[in-house]
Amino acid sequence: MTEALRTKLQITNDSRLLKKASRELIDILKDRGIGEETLFDVQAGFEEALRNAMLHGNRLHPDKKVIVETEITFEQVTISVEDEGEGFDPDSLPDPTLEENLLKESGRGIYLIRHLMDRVRYENGGRRVVMTKYLKKRL
Amino acid sequence: MQVKLEDKSGVSVVFVKGDIDINTSPDIKKFFDELIKDRKEKVVINLGDVSYVDSSGLATFVEILKKLRSYGGKLKLTNLSSKVRGLFEITKLTKLFDIFDEETAAIGSFQSGS
Repeated sequence: MTEALRTKLQITNDSRLLKKASRELIDILKDRGIGEETLFDVQAGFEEALRNAMLHGNRLHPDKKVIVETEITFEQVTISVEDEGEGFDPDSLPDPTLEENLLKESGRGIYLIRHLMDRVRYENGGRRVVMTKYLKKRL
Repeated sequence: MQVKLEDKSGVSVVFVKGDIDINTSPDIKKFFDELIKDRKEKVVINLGDVSYVDSSGLATFVEILKKLRSYGGKLKLTNLSSKVRGLFEITKLTKLFDIFDEETAAIGSFQSGS
């Protein structure tokens, strides 16, 4: 049984660092033999959360930071992403899959997170999202 | 990320290689703005070499589609990986976009008028 790995990372509000943080997490999961399908969902969920934190939470402000905490166990990965913005009500967002919203150019990030990850909750007035994905090994 | 344009029987076929995300979407938009300036009416995007699209990328496709439609242009997507196609399905964007498995079928659909 692989031991739990906990990390805490502070990221400058720069979207170029988003990819680096995501690659580091995916590499750890790859080394643990996690299957491609699960890796894709974790990458997409994590990058959407980081993107939301930098773009909508911190509003691309260069002095603001995003705090990422991860806990990887044998069974699951839990990722927390917190920004320094004003927060928001995640339940107030319109459903991007409704006919009248399909042509809108925004509003799909949180919807994707909810569909790609197994458990998602918002804390601290919407500033922090905590997401869990159950890990499936390569067949 | 790399973008290449080929003209195939009057159809503009755009090949994208790499991720389409928050960092690369602005370049994709700029590339398509040129095509749209030239009023290209038949456009196919081949996503065979794209392994990842984020919500910025999905938004970029919606923006391109709207601009093309504004003057009667049509857009078809082809060669999506199963995971990228899954993102279109989750977000119900499959209702908005014509998606084909093969590039030849996408190009042929312009001739058949669909």
